[in-house]
Amino acid sequence: MLGAMLDRRLHFVVGKGGVGKTTVAAALARLLARRGRRTLAIEVDDARRLSALLGASGTTGTPTVVAPGLSVVAIEGRAALEEYLGLIIPVKRLLATIFSSRIYQYFVAAAPGLKELMTVGKIWYETTRQERGRPLWDAVVVDAPATGHSVQYLRMPQAARDTFGAGLVQREAAKVVELLRDPRTTAVHLVTLAEEMPVAETLETHAELVGSLAMPVGSVIVNRVHHRRFSPAALAALREAARRVGAEERALVRAVCERAAEESGWSEINAAYLTRLRAAIRDVPIVELPFLFVEEFDRGEVDRLSGELETASPGRAAVSALRP
Amino acid sequence: MTLGDLVARHQIVISAGSGGVGKTTVAASLALWGALEGRRAVVLTIDPARRLASSLGLASLGSGERDIPAEHFRAQGLAPKGTLAAMMLDQKGAWDALVERHAPPEARDRILTNRFYQHLSQSFAGSYEYMAIEQLCALAESGRYDLIVVDTPPTRHALDFLEAPRRIADFLDRKIIKWFVRPYFSAGWSALRAMNRTAGFLLRRLEQATGIAALAEISDFFSNMSGLFENFQTRIDRAHEILRAPGTAFVLVSSPEEQVLGDAEYLSSKMAALRMPLKGVVLNRVHAEFRPARRGRGRDEIGPEEVEQVADLVAQIVGAPEARELAANFVDYQALARGESLRIEQFRAGLPRGVPVVHVPNFARDVHDLASLAGMHAHLFGVRAAA
Repeated sequence: MLGAMLDRRLHFVVGKGGVGKTTVAAALARLLARRGRRTLAIEVDDARRLSALLGASGTTGTPTVVAPGLSVVAIEGRAALEEYLGLIIPVKRLLATIFSSRIYQYFVAAAPGLKELMTVGKIWYETTRQERGRPLWDAVVVDAPATGHSVQYLRMPQAARDTFGAGLVQREAAKVVELLRDPRTTAVHLVTLAEEMPVAETLETHAELVGSLAMPVGSVIVNRVHHRRFSPAALAALREAARRVGAEERALVRAVCERAAEESGWSEINAAYLTRLRAAIRDVPIVELPFLFVEEFDRGEVDRLSGELETASPGRAAVSALRP
Repeated sequence: MTLGDLVARHQIVISAGSGGVGKTTVAASLALWGALEGRRAVVLTIDPARRLASSLGLASLGSGERDIPAEHFRAQGLAPKGTLAAMMLDQKGAWDALVERHAPPEARDRILTNRFYQHLSQSFAGSYEYMAIEQLCALAESGRYDLIVVDTPPTRHALDFLEAPRRIADFLDRKIIKWFVRPYFSAGWSALRAMNRTAGFLLRRLEQATGIAALAEISDFFSNMSGLFENFQTRIDRAHEILRAPGTAFVLVSSPEEQVLGDAEYLSSKMAALRMPLKGVVLNRVHAEFRPARRGRGRDEIGPEEVEQVADLVAQIVGAPEARELAANFVDYQALARGESLRIEQFRAGLPRGVPVVHVPNFARDVHDLASLAGMHAHLFGVRAAA
C-alpha cells in the first residue's frame, strides 16, 4: 500500500529517539534505489549512523554515491548557512572576512532556529535541483533529527515566512513551505513502536502535521513488532514438566518457558497499541515491521527491513517473524 | 559500592542518558526507594508517560511539587518510612516560565508578545535543560528534601543537559546582545558602519535579505532580554556548584543497543571532562542470556546450532509443532542476549573503576504504578526496600 506514495520525491522520516528511525530511513532509501529511482539519503547535523548503515565510510556536504542509484549527503546547519550566504555575497575574499568576524560568530550562535531553517533550505535545494532540465534526484529521504521536538525542523520555514518582513528570506521560506505542504511531492513518515509513550507521541505529532503544519503524512511505520504467541496451556505444561526433569534440563526448560512468556507479553502489548493506533489514525497506511532477533544490527538487517517495507500492507503483519 | 550505597550517600541523583531508554521510570523508581528507606524524597520529572504521571499524582500539568498521599502507597501494599513528592516540568512553557520568573513586568509583556519570540521560543537551545537545573537549585535550596532525583530531558546526547548553563549564558551574553542592540539604540547604523566596516556590511546584507522589520524585531527582543538576567552569572555559578558537589551523583541510564551504548560511552567521557563524574550505571531492558551450568570445560553457550536439540527436549513435554516454535523463540532470544552481553562487556571495560553497574530486565509490561516501580528495586538494588 506504500506503492503510490513511494512515487513522491521528498520523504521525511521522523520519530523520537530509540524507535529505530534511522534504520527505517536507511531501509526506505534502499527500497527506492532498488526500484530504479535516483535516490539521495540525507543525514542531518553530526549523526553518522545513516551513512554507516548504507555502507558509506564517511559523508561530506557533497552527495557521495554509495550504491547504484543511491547517494548520501550530510547537511549541517552552519555549513548550509555559509553556502547560502555565498550565493547572496559571491565575493570569496569578503565572505572569508565575514565568516571569521566576531559579529558573524555571534549571529550564528545567537539567532534561534537559523540553523534549522538553513538545513531545511538545503533539503529543499537538493529536492528541487535540476540537471539538464530534469530533477537530479527522483527521491530524497531525510533522516530528520530526533533531538527535542521531532517536527521542530519542519516548523522553521513556516515560522520564517511569517516572521520576516518582505525580503529574500521570506520569499524563499514561502517556496519551501509550499513544497513541504505539497502532497504530490512530500510525504512525512512517522516511525514508532507499539508501546505507550511512542504511540502517544506519534498521535501528537500526527495531529500537529495534519493541523498547524498542514503537511502530508505518508505513513505510520510501526517498528519492532512482536508476533509470536504461545498458548497458556503449553507454558503451564512446560512449568510443570520442569519440576520432573533432571537439574541440567530443568534450567533450560525454565528458560524456554520464560522467553516464551516474554515474547507473548510483548506480542500482546504491541497488538493493543496497534489497535489504538489504527483506531486513531485512519487517513494513512500503518505499516508493521517485525522485531529482528540478531546479535548485531547491520546492513543485512537494513536490507531485510527494506524488503519488508516493499511487501508491507496495512492490516496484516508484514511477514511472520517465524519464517526461517 | 552498590547502587543502594550510592543513593544512600547522595542528596542529589541525576538520571542521564539518551531518549527512549527508560530514564524517567528509573528516576521514579530510585526516588521511591529513597522514600521506602525513610528519606524525604522528591522526583523532578520532565515528560512522563501519562499513566506513570497519574500514579505519581501528576495527572494534570502544573507547577510545584505534589506529595504522594499515604493511601496511594497502602493501596499498592507499600509502607514508606519517609515521604515521596513528584514534580513535573512543563517542557513547552520552559522559556515563558523563565521570562516570567526573571523579567520586570513591563518587559515581560513586550517579550511574550514579540513575534520573533513567539515563533522561535520553542527552539531556543537548552531552555528545558536550563529550567530543569534552575528547578533543581530551587529544590536543593528549599531544604525540604534530603533526596532529589532528577530526570533529564530526552536529548540525543544528554550532554546538552550538562552544558545548558553555559549555552544559555553564551546566548544571553551581554556582549553579544550589544552587537544586536547597538545599531538601533545607542550608536545607530552609521556609527556602526564607521566603526566596523565588516559588521556594517554584513548587517546591511542581512537586512536586505531578511527585511528590516525582522531585524528591528530581533533587536528589540534582545534589548528586552538583556536587562533580565542581572544575576544570571551568579545563578549559573550556583548551578555548577550544585552539579559538582560531592553530594551529587550522575547515574547513566542506557539500553544495551549498539547505538545507545555508543552515546552512553561518549556521555561518560564528556562528564569526566566537565568534572561531573559518573557514579553509577543502570542498563535497562537487558535480555537475559541462558548459560547452562555444565560439568567440565565444554561449551557454555546455546546458540542457533542447538535449536533441534532444544526442540527435541521441549517436544517431550508439549506437542511437536509448538515445541519447534518454542525452541526457535528461545534461540532467537539467545542471539539477542549474546549480542547484548558482548556489547555490555565492552562498554564496562571503558567505565571508570568502581562504578556500580546494574542490569534491569526487559519487562514485557509497561511500568506505570508504584508497585511495579518497587518491583524494579530487586534488580536495581539486589533486594527489596525494607518496607
